[in-house]
Amino acid sequence: MNRALGLAGLLVGLGGCVIGIGVLAEGLRRDRPHLLRMGLPYALVSLAGAVLSTIAMQRALITRDYTVEFVFDHGSSSTPPLFNVAAMWSALEGSILLWGLVLAGFTVAVAWRFRRRLEDPLVAWALITMFAVGVFFFGLMLTAANPFRGVVPPVGYDGPGPNPLLQNHILMAFHPPMLYLGYVGFTVPFAFAIAALVTGRVGEGWLVETRRWTLLSWGFLTAGIILGAWWSYEVLGWGGYWKWDPVENASFLPWLTGTAYLHSVMVQERRGMLRVWNLSLLCATFALTILGTFLTRSGVVESVHAFSSGSVGPILLGFFAVIVAVSVGLIGWRGDQLRSPGRIDSPVSREGAFLANNALFAAFAFVVLLGTVFPLIVEAVNGERLSVGVPFFSRMTMPIGFALLTLMAVAPVLPWRKGTGEVLRERLWWPAWGGVAATVFALAVGATGPTVVLAFGLAGFAAGSAIRQLVLATRRQGWRGLVGRANGGMVVHLGTILVAVAFAASTSYIRQAEVTLAQGQTSTVAGHEFTYLGSRTVERDNRVEVISEVRVDGGRVYEPRLNRYRMGGMTIGTPSVRVGPTEDVYLSVSSTPDPVTGEVTIRVIVQPLVVWLWIGGGVMVVGTVLSLFPGRRRDPTAPASAPVAERGARRDAEIVT
Amino acid sequence: MNGDDPASRQGNGRRQRHALRQHWWAWAAMALVVGVVLVASIDTSPSRGVSEQRRYALSVQLKCLQCVGESVAASQAPLAVQFREEIDSQMRQGRTDDEILAFFAQRYGQEVLLTPPSSGLGALVWVVPVVVVAAGVLGLAGVFARWRREAGARASEEDRTLVAGELARRHQDRDPEPAGPRDPDG
Repeated sequence: MNRALGLAGLLVGLGGCVIGIGVLAEGLRRDRPHLLRMGLPYALVSLAGAVLSTIAMQRALITRDYTVEFVFDHGSSSTPPLFNVAAMWSALEGSILLWGLVLAGFTVAVAWRFRRRLEDPLVAWALITMFAVGVFFFGLMLTAANPFRGVVPPVGYDGPGPNPLLQNHILMAFHPPMLYLGYVGFTVPFAFAIAALVTGRVGEGWLVETRRWTLLSWGFLTAGIILGAWWSYEVLGWGGYWKWDPVENASFLPWLTGTAYLHSVMVQERRGMLRVWNLSLLCATFALTILGTFLTRSGVVESVHAFSSGSVGPILLGFFAVIVAVSVGLIGWRGDQLRSPGRIDSPVSREGAFLANNALFAAFAFVVLLGTVFPLIVEAVNGERLSVGVPFFSRMTMPIGFALLTLMAVAPVLPWRKGTGEVLRERLWWPAWGGVAATVFALAVGATGPTVVLAFGLAGFAAGSAIRQLVLATRRQGWRGLVGRANGGMVVHLGTILVAVAFAASTSYIRQAEVTLAQGQTSTVAGHEFTYLGSRTVERDNRVEVISEVRVDGGRVYEPRLNRYRMGGMTIGTPSVRVGPTEDVYLSVSSTPDPVTGEVTIRVIVQPLVVWLWIGGGVMVVGTVLSLFPGRRRDPTAPASAPVAERGARRDAEIVT
Repeated sequence: MNGDDPASRQGNGRRQRHALRQHWWAWAAMALVVGVVLVASIDTSPSRGVSEQRRYALSVQLKCLQCVGESVAASQAPLAVQFREEIDSQMRQGRTDDEILAFFAQRYGQEVLLTPPSSGLGALVWVVPVVVVAAGVLGLAGVFARWRREAGARASEEDRTLVAGELARRHQDRDPEPAGPRDPDG
């Protein structure tokens, strides 16, 4: 029943996309507006199919319908309800289904948003592109990654449930959907980029149309990445949140190119420049989401997240190749029309800064991509096995991070067109003192290591610059000085700076130790006292919890635990953290109490400022929301300023025409 | 965010006070403070001897060969525990960081080091990004230089009339908000 419903849903979804493409293509070919208006109904059909499949899958999970192979493999009668819902995205087939659902949702959203303009070939081509991506994902589910494959369960069978790691924390219910909303959301600007290339309307119009969509997707992706980091901090038991794991990198790569795009798009809106570059960035961002899915879902790289599954890998790689080929081909084909009418007058200008920003983000993405796939390349070339891990990424990305912080300080105060040293000195005065104050403060509270202190200084500099902009804007416009792209963007900058500071501090000043304590014994680590009070055992449906009680600094009792899952016998710890504004004290149990002596081994990790990572992430999301509201509107193609100089006059004239 | 410079809109008294910002020595003073702070922050703790810090610093550079994508520092796998004990014993023998890492690489292969090698094919992972970034910077510099050469072209009278007309039109009908969504290619 569930299988039949699910498969029917997939077929309806696929049918909606295929027929949608056909009808829209026919409408475009014969110039029939009534056919083009059919974009919305077909988008709704494909969404209905995806929703039906999702309902079927959830129903199968809830009713523990083990005739569905996915439930057979990943369902269990003892999984708590919330994690049972989340079981859908705990493995490959279900996560592709979630992808399909989100994609169909976005397709409907686009068709609805542009419902009065469905006859516009640009919108029609964008919908065709989205339908084509939909065909791929529905097709994938009907072939290599079928979530509704059948199986005959033995009598009395009960499934293993999702991977215990994935049913250990509530964030698992939110991190993947957020990430997928981000990944899939980038399909929208990609579709409009393709549409702009196909129709030849490569001006700035399509950019303005998709700006908010891009921003929205970026916000979801940011939230998804931060939630993922938080999840690994709360679950994995080693006090870390980011280790340059291939899957983390896979989500970070589109974030990097997407961030680059959000900046460079302003240059194009304002000055009509960087057209090829912006189109390439969007295509790259979308292609990287697919490449990331390939890397993590094909099992070619080893990772905690990787769930390998036969033939899906080559198919995803093929799709990635098609996207790259189509994008490169179209950009090459439209090359002549893409030549920008504007020029950058001076490197010391807002557009120059955006260009530098893009160069840095591109370099960042390149380093991350190279580091991720390099072991594969080397092994393919000469069979040598080597690892590219945290030390490589820290060393290579640190200078880029420093440069980005510096740019974050300087760029917001730079005028468009051409800046002078005088203007910079005038406007950077207080931000620079902010940076100086940050280094002095860091030293005063005991920070060591010139690089870390320099990072704090640059962060203070950048924060000063962002705050300066916000103060000036709110003084001029009141509360409206906090909304709009430029001001919301400064709020995002502040969030990014918080994350950067927290990252630098927590990775540089981490202290950790393992202590073995008998009941009632006390030990001191990094200035904190830990008293082991004893252990108790709690039986739950799906696991047995061994809870150790540890009193920290004579105050509250913390309860790190070890969970032994009944199915599969996997043991996973749940750390307990004393969260504080300046420092987190992280406790995780390494071993169950010794049967003879009753001693337990507890790992203690003390890291400063970790909580500011999550707060910074929250600020970034808030800033993104603020940017989504219209600020002081400006006609994107209007002259940037009055013609003060001859050279300026010529530039403006070019842009107006 | 243009024209938000307070000094440009304020009186002369304010401007005089802001004159300080234009003096090189004011900025040199800042640089001096930062320089002193950076020197004062240099970490003087010994890099030899046995310490938790040093064990951690070494174990994050070693891959846990029994686990998936974890370092020796993060893992509780038996092999990782054994590695940490080995690090302790090597530290007690007074070995340097490099010697300890080399020991592991020799016994368990290059794969155990999370830092890629600095020689052979593996070194490319260090070299290629630097080369690419350098090429990118040179390319951009070249483009800027070309643009600057070409910037000699002057605006014709026709251009200027066009701009003046367009500006006049915009200043005339500057209603608060242009209503409705704009035509994409208008």
